[in-house]
Amino acid sequence: MLDMTHINKVYRTDLVETRALRDFSLHVEEGEFVAVTGPSGSGKTTFLNVTGLLETFEQGEYRLDGKDVSRLNDNERSRIRNEKIGFIFQSFNLIPDLDVFDNVDVPLRYRGLRAAERTRRIEQALEVVGLASRTKHLPSQLSGGQQQRVAIARALAGEPRLLLADEPTGNVDSLMAREILQLISGINESGTTVVMVTHDPEMARYAHRNVHIMDGQVTELESADVHPATRQPSVGAADARPL
Amino acid sequence: MFFYNLRLALLSLRRNPVLSALMIVAIGLGIGAAMTMFTVYYQMSADPIPQKSSRLYRVQLDNWDPNKPYAPPDQAPAQVTYRDAVNLMNLHPGPMQNAMFRSSTVLQPPDETKPPFRVRVRATYRNFFPMFDTPFEYGGPWGKTADAQAKQVVVLSNDTNERLFGGEDSVGQRIKLYGRYFAVVGVLKPWRPTPRFYDLTSMAFAEPDDVYVPLSLTEPLQMQPGGIMSCWKSAGSDFQSLLNSECVWLQFWVQLDTPAQVAAYKNFLDNYVREQKKLGRFPRPLNNHLRNVMQWLDYARQWLGYAGFGAADNGVLVGLAFMFLVVCLVNMMGLLLAKFLGRAAQSGVRRALGATRAMIFYQHLVEVAVIGIGGGLLGLGLTWLGLRLVSALYRNYERLTQLDPTLAGIAIGIALVSAVIAGVYPAWRICRTSVAMHLKTQ
Amino acid sequence: MRPILSALLRNKTGAVLVVIQIAITLAIVANALFIVNQRLALIGRPTGMDAANIFSFFSFGFTPDYKAVPTIRQDLRMLRETPGVVDATPINLIPMTSSGSNSGLSLERGENVPVAVTGLYEVDEHGLNALGLKLIAGRNFTHEEVDYVDPEKDYTPPIIIVTQSLAKELFPGGDALGKTVYWNGKESSRIIGIVQRFYGSKYSGKIGWSALLPVVSTGNRTGYIVRTQPGSRDRLMPKIEKKLSESNRDRTIFGLNSMAKTVSEFYRRDRAMAVILTIVIVLLVAVTALGIFGLAVFNVNRRRKQIGTRRALGARKLDIINYFMIESWLMTTIGVVVGSALAVALNYWLAMNYSIPRLAWYYVPAGIGLLWALGAVAVLMPALRAASIPPAVATRTV
Repeated sequence: MLDMTHINKVYRTDLVETRALRDFSLHVEEGEFVAVTGPSGSGKTTFLNVTGLLETFEQGEYRLDGKDVSRLNDNERSRIRNEKIGFIFQSFNLIPDLDVFDNVDVPLRYRGLRAAERTRRIEQALEVVGLASRTKHLPSQLSGGQQQRVAIARALAGEPRLLLADEPTGNVDSLMAREILQLISGINESGTTVVMVTHDPEMARYAHRNVHIMDGQVTELESADVHPATRQPSVGAADARPL
Repeated sequence: MFFYNLRLALLSLRRNPVLSALMIVAIGLGIGAAMTMFTVYYQMSADPIPQKSSRLYRVQLDNWDPNKPYAPPDQAPAQVTYRDAVNLMNLHPGPMQNAMFRSSTVLQPPDETKPPFRVRVRATYRNFFPMFDTPFEYGGPWGKTADAQAKQVVVLSNDTNERLFGGEDSVGQRIKLYGRYFAVVGVLKPWRPTPRFYDLTSMAFAEPDDVYVPLSLTEPLQMQPGGIMSCWKSAGSDFQSLLNSECVWLQFWVQLDTPAQVAAYKNFLDNYVREQKKLGRFPRPLNNHLRNVMQWLDYARQWLGYAGFGAADNGVLVGLAFMFLVVCLVNMMGLLLAKFLGRAAQSGVRRALGATRAMIFYQHLVEVAVIGIGGGLLGLGLTWLGLRLVSALYRNYERLTQLDPTLAGIAIGIALVSAVIAGVYPAWRICRTSVAMHLKTQ
Repeated sequence: MRPILSALLRNKTGAVLVVIQIAITLAIVANALFIVNQRLALIGRPTGMDAANIFSFFSFGFTPDYKAVPTIRQDLRMLRETPGVVDATPINLIPMTSSGSNSGLSLERGENVPVAVTGLYEVDEHGLNALGLKLIAGRNFTHEEVDYVDPEKDYTPPIIIVTQSLAKELFPGGDALGKTVYWNGKESSRIIGIVQRFYGSKYSGKIGWSALLPVVSTGNRTGYIVRTQPGSRDRLMPKIEKKLSESNRDRTIFGLNSMAKTVSEFYRRDRAMAVILTIVIVLLVAVTALGIFGLAVFNVNRRRKQIGTRRALGARKLDIINYFMIESWLMTTIGVVVGSALAVALNYWLAMNYSIPRLAWYYVPAGIGLLWALGAVAVLMPALRAASIPPAVATRTV
């Protein structure tokens, strides 16, 4: 699904040059759930930005879903983000002016789907995250956990092949965090590859495999050794039909 | 996508109502100021007789002082002498010509109980009417014999006929001018060429004349010239010597349909002046001119400081008003930039979710266009107000302060174009910002 | 100061836009203020006449029975006898209108001598008093010196009264009184009196170069100037019009106007220009102020966290206010420096194309002062708002 080999990413300012990713290689199988951990400043965010095609890199190769995406132009990268990748951010990144329905609608608009199809997908995705009754609410009227579920619905509605989650539970309480992780696991079980950046080992345990990044390099590859008990699907995820 | 973007634009404008209002007001004021001044300018420089302006020529003959031009460096007088006007008319060179001047007298209504009132008289040949396409409500021009035999006939303006006869067909009625009876032969429809190109000497934007009478009555009735008269040599004060003097006060026009006619007529004028030189007149070098209507108006604007026609102030105002518009646009650009950049995170999210740069650009441009249209509509309203004000401040500016659909279109067009110009850079900036930068924290 | 400047430089575009706006605003405001003041000065010039208490009209004889001389004599008697009327005079044309009669005055006889184009006003011995002109040298016309003249006849009066400005033009030495002058180098007249000031027609060579002639024209059109006691003008105008109209059916009265209105009409374009430009200045200043204000509000909102952090690190409210005030002052200052050059350039362009005079130098500093004040006022409210941001903002995350 995701194949990065010898990637280098350097940030330059007038004074400093920071090597965020150094000879970075990582392989993620289709259907895998990978947790990426590491201390702050280790290159986690850069890794996520590169993986999500939000940023380009200097050297190396990145294949996504069998396709080389290393040297795509901005428009092609936009299209792939839109069609193949779903994002979940730590700070939700919902658009405050738009209600729940319209927020989930955003990626679908850029895909140019017909109105009926968009409505169907939005309603289905909101059903999955349990917010079908809140379509007219503005983000500011929702709790943090609810906002994050809207963000998940937004990612789901696009039917992505790869779901990228950046500290998805960083801004919610622990009870809600577990619920969100269960949702993400459910999505993963229905076939979507998940890559999640987190600093919380507790959350990382939901993943099949943990990757540790240190100084811009993968330092530790740990096979999935996850407690079966933590793998129980949540109620919401159980409803998730294959998308 | 357009309607989606339109909805986003309206949402965004509602989200910052004060800022949105500020931008719309800024562009509205700019458009209002610029369009008010531009309307006056546009109407001032409008073609007063578009169907014929390229075929009607103003005649200038240089009969001026041998030692000093009429106006520096070597301008010929704007008007002609009585004797040259009559001579040229009597020579019948072929093309339709007309000589005329303004006078004034008192009109005594047929109903003797009504008070007499002062009227503006145009003394002219009958050719005036066909040459300038004057529309007739009743009757028509007087005949050639009336010109030749100085008959006391009159054509009334629509207003005068309204005042005297309540708008009824008055052909055949008699009115008293210069203390004598005149027979009404025609009544014009409302007719008001703006500017009154054929005679710019008195209030070029004011009402045209009240009554039209044959110029051949000048001598018998001793009709005094009422416009501007210029002399370079003492005229002698009795009326006959005025008519024979070198003083200029008549306007002379000719209709020439082809370049060949123009050349032939110019030749005719030059020959006439050469003949006159033999009689000891026209001491200056040959300096005759033919100018069609628009050329004549340009010339008059540039060289003749006629009352109500010196558009210098208007030029200053148009210049300053457009600079004002520029300030408003720069203002708007700053506000848009601040607004768009303040919302960069949202665009970052949209970009992450798959919007291309073009889509983000488009989204913001639609917002800018909505502001432009809002500003344009406000500007149109302010233009209307501004024109009312200008009309009240100046005299005889009613015709110059009229908004027509073309001008309204221009106003909206300028608003839209200028808003987009002001908006392109902010929209471009926002679509170029890095996608990843705004996602981490909000 | 340095950190503010570098922060400004980082948000270059926004700052550049404000600078441009201030620069153009200064250019327009300085020039427009200049033109407004110039026009107001024109409008405020004394005309030399007692303009507030004068009115004028024409009598126009239109029947074959009309007799000019008896009509004029009768009219004048009737006017002067009317209670409330100070004096009245016949006149050929009304001063301060677009109608005028001019001739050239020269110092010597001969062809092609240099002349001063002079506006001619024919009045009788009551002319000075009726117009309210101030005689500063010499004497008035006497009753015997005034001639009733057929306009068909060539006639040059032997004596004239001129204005001071015309006298100075002709005789810079100041010894005009008693001198003989020539009409276009031909007929001569002697200057017997000098009035302080008398503004004539728009079409005189120079406004204020006027001459009074002791002549009453016996043509069918006669103008009248009537001077009333203060406060009686408006009451007398319709009364006199009616009385004269009814006294003689062979003529009509037209063009009845107070001199105040005539003068106001004379300056109509100048006043219109002043009004329009004043509106432009006010709106422009408002738009620019709102622009600076809007931008400042936005900047404050965007930098909430940064401001909170500064506060947390010990900045006083005054420091925060100062920061924004200095930032605005810097932009305004750069703007007015650029704008000063622009103002001069704009004036140059106006002078070249529209014969607007050269800008008086002090309009630029005046404009600069205005814009400095404007920048400070516009930014004060946002700055105060910034100062009220609590330091706790620094520790808040979202």
